[in-house]
Amino acid sequence: MSIPLVPQLLRSHLKELADNDQRLDNRSQFEGRDVEIEVGILGNAEGSARVRMGDTIVLAGVKFQTMTPYPDRPNEGGLMCMAEVRPVSGRQHEAGPPSAESIELSRVVDRGIRESGCIDTSDLCIIPGEKAWQVILDLFAVSDDGNLFDAFALAGITALRNATIPQEKFELGEDRPLIVSKTPIMCSYQRVGGRFIFDANGREELGGDERIHITLGEDNHVHSLQKGLKGAFTAAEFTELMEEARKKGQELRNMINTLEGVN
Amino acid sequence: MGYGDVQMIDADGIRNDGRKAGDVRPISIELGVVPVADGSCRMRWGTNEVIAAIYGPMEAHPRKIQRQDRAVLDVRYNMAPFSTSDRIRPGFNRRSREISKVTAEALESVVMLELYPRSKIRVEIEIICAEAGTRCVGLTAASVALAHAGIPMTDLVVSVASGKINDVVVCDLNKAEDNYGEADLPMGILPNSGELVFLQMDGDLSPEEFEEAWDYNMDAAMTIHEYCVEALKNGRYPQ
Repeated sequence: MSIPLVPQLLRSHLKELADNDQRLDNRSQFEGRDVEIEVGILGNAEGSARVRMGDTIVLAGVKFQTMTPYPDRPNEGGLMCMAEVRPVSGRQHEAGPPSAESIELSRVVDRGIRESGCIDTSDLCIIPGEKAWQVILDLFAVSDDGNLFDAFALAGITALRNATIPQEKFELGEDRPLIVSKTPIMCSYQRVGGRFIFDANGREELGGDERIHITLGEDNHVHSLQKGLKGAFTAAEFTELMEEARKKGQELRNMINTLEGVN
Repeated sequence: MGYGDVQMIDADGIRNDGRKAGDVRPISIELGVVPVADGSCRMRWGTNEVIAAIYGPMEAHPRKIQRQDRAVLDVRYNMAPFSTSDRIRPGFNRRSREISKVTAEALESVVMLELYPRSKIRVEIEIICAEAGTRCVGLTAASVALAHAGIPMTDLVVSVASGKINDVVVCDLNKAEDNYGEADLPMGILPNSGELVFLQMDGDLSPEEFEEAWDYNMDAAMTIHEYCVEALKNGRYPQ
């Protein structure tokens, strides 16, 4: 990758492109990069997926641990979703404790999956009040060329749908597939050159303004929203993005549904 | 179960994964797997999977880490949380710090750091799936990724470990052999000069066994070096 342009120069270039309804990589305003999904690619994880969108590549791995249920929910297990943006994934990512940006990323992805209710936590109970399964979804960025949000969310839900509860390893009976009842999909939009675009790449992110993340489930139910970075948007703009997210979300959901190896 | 209590090699000298004593697990190498990096490679070695990425040479900051006469190597070895059978809590631990340190020192012996004063070269080693011998895979992958990034080096570093299971010296320990074996001798070898830049050992080896393990490593390193060169020429090994 070349060294990023001075953002001010990049911003004026992006503005010019936007005025002519163009983008850096010749995509249209709401066109995403080609998406490749592979499942079951990590030998030591109980469920896994690799997602590639252009030069953005992420991994998701599911592990299971046993936990003591929370006192107020003795019949339920838990779901934990953690995203890591390690320095391997880009020049701009420094070593050290997680940045505010990567914490936001992790939490927004977590909310979309958790709040959809796709995992029935009462199905994770082993002995009420004593023992339950904790599902841990780890998201790992291999290469960051923009829009880690959508890549993480897509890899995350796919890995969950690929997961097997390792009951044999814990001497709790036979292995069984993790039940995932919904497929929430996140679509992220960023204002670049004055207009919102879908699936910003690394350079568009660098020269962009505010971003909006929309997670939708089946039947277009909304499960999480997040507005990030400086900037203001209108209700009309938001309505248009919602409409786009519904279309794109269904497209990506269909893609997951037709994969081999998903429950 | 302790050392020597598990039978891992049969009377015909066949190991639990079907290998003979001197055999190395299957290896494949792919370059450019981190498209945003200056150089990168993925190495699969048995069921190990390691990604190494290089960023730089770039400006070294903060300034106090700069060296006026050479570049500094910033090496990080890390295991992904889902890389092992029990999940690993993210973040540095004592083991990964030590491995990062000795890996950096091995690579410093071959990278021509004096060509890039006051700069920094980042070497990121991520263990995606661990079977046994991840430090060896990591070091070898890092040297291939450095070459892929076009960083001048005097040689590649090829790292491999031999050890002892049920009183038999064998090359390239797998998971069970590493867990229940009696000794482990990882070495980092410069294939062109035969010199060593990395050496660790733990366990129990007689002088004769030590020599045998040493020779296994030397021979294996020459073979693995050929794979690395093939990968650097063609972008991947095997083709």
